[in-house]
Amino acid sequence: MTRVALEHVSFWYPATSAPALEDVSLEVVGGELVALVGRVGAGASTLLLVAGDLAPRVVGGRLEGTVRFEGSDRAGKDGGRGIVLPSPWTQLSGMAFTVWDEVAFGPANLGWPRGEIARHVEHALALLEITGLNSRDPATLSGGELQRVILAGILAMNPAVLLCDEPTAELDPAGAQAVWRLLSALAREGKAVLVATSDLDALPDVADRVVWLERGRVAATGTAALLAGDAACAAGLGTTVAGVWRAAELAAPFPATVAAAVRRWR
Amino acid sequence: MSGRLHPFTLLAVAAALPALAWILPAPIGPAATLAVALGLTLTPGASPGSTGIRSSPGSTGIGSSPGWRPGSVVFRAALLTAAPFWLFLLLLHDVPTTIATGLRITTMVASIGWVVAALPPARLVEAMVAAGWSATAAYLFAATLSAVPVLKSRAQRIVEAQRCRGLSPRGGVVNRLRALGAVALPLILSALHEVDERALALETRGLVPGVHRTPLEPPPDRVAERVARWGLAALCAAALVWRLA
Repeated sequence: MTRVALEHVSFWYPATSAPALEDVSLEVVGGELVALVGRVGAGASTLLLVAGDLAPRVVGGRLEGTVRFEGSDRAGKDGGRGIVLPSPWTQLSGMAFTVWDEVAFGPANLGWPRGEIARHVEHALALLEITGLNSRDPATLSGGELQRVILAGILAMNPAVLLCDEPTAELDPAGAQAVWRLLSALAREGKAVLVATSDLDALPDVADRVVWLERGRVAATGTAALLAGDAACAAGLGTTVAGVWRAAELAAPFPATVAAAVRRWR
Repeated sequence: MSGRLHPFTLLAVAAALPALAWILPAPIGPAATLAVALGLTLTPGASPGSTGIRSSPGSTGIGSSPGWRPGSVVFRAALLTAAPFWLFLLLLHDVPTTIATGLRITTMVASIGWVVAALPPARLVEAMVAAGWSATAAYLFAATLSAVPVLKSRAQRIVEAQRCRGLSPRGGVVNRLRALGAVALPLILSALHEVDERALALETRGLVPGVHRTPLEPPPDRVAERVARWGLAALCAAALVWRLA
């Protein structure tokens, strides 16, 4: 069973005295999609780096507590942990001049046979609906196209745990919905999916759990209904519908989605 | 022409020309090597479709990377880059020394400019990995090769952004120095920031020490090219022995 678990984890970046994460405990298992929400600087990106075995191993700093991972024991290996960082431009390999080669960069580094690389690349391109871009130069893509290419590059490596930092930031609404549908489908296939996002309106439809981070600590954990709570709305972390409902001083509990609001209204 | 050659052959030519320029007697030797180097800068180089990797079904080849310049642009850039060296040499030395050293330096500049334009880093990585180099070492080598055009392209974007904010790189010395600072600082900071993010991205995509990367489409290394490379090395060695004798 795939599982990544943080137990009482605190993390300090190099040359800082204040922890970026403080006593965080969180478990994500295969088959579920967990969303991290919080204000800028709440620690969601750092949590992904810790869960992805990049902090402190690559970024430096100091870690207290335990990070457990059941799956492959090597970062980047097939069945391991794949992380999609927020800025797609800095994630380009710089060594590929077609989208196909860019997506194949990771699988090639895993040493797979060429036939297997081709199969995974084609599958990932199809999942992200970017097969038509396969011969384009990555340097000529729009932000949204590039974001999907980077995600395809990680999916082509077949990670058991998928960690995404703002995966829909560069996408238009239709593209964002497609990515959420994909992440949800990947979770149903058995992958553990952990997503840091500010796309709060999408979460009621896709997230199995929501973790609210505040200054490096877990402020609350629950279902997506958390995003319709008065506290979350007051903190600016409620869904748009819940925020409008609250601003209109309508009766609690607030609906999280348009569909829920319509049902309440009737 | 250069797009069809093996990356190691391109590197061998780019290394042999400056070596011969410094070994052979001036002005004939350096003038000859410079003529060859400048001739190479006029080849199509890294123009689209000339580089040969076609891993993706349906693709027609590698596109041009940002900052890569085919043909006469590389020729002009080489001459413009070498021009200040000639000025300094003329101030410091007599005319024969200026011509001898200037020709040699210009050969170096033209050779480096040509190889940077003609050799796509991706192709070099493929060749090095196929030759048994570690993927991380190959990546470092290729990233160094691609650093100049990438930084130039970013500097252009920063200049455009600063112009939008009212900064003019024209006018007197003070204005120009101020503009230089406004370009240099964001350039350095963004490069440092990108190094961190790029390191994370490469790590998560499996480019870790000891990785055994699969070459996607290693460029063919023909016997004739291998012989030519050894021939160039032998030519340089023979020229050195002749000059020292």
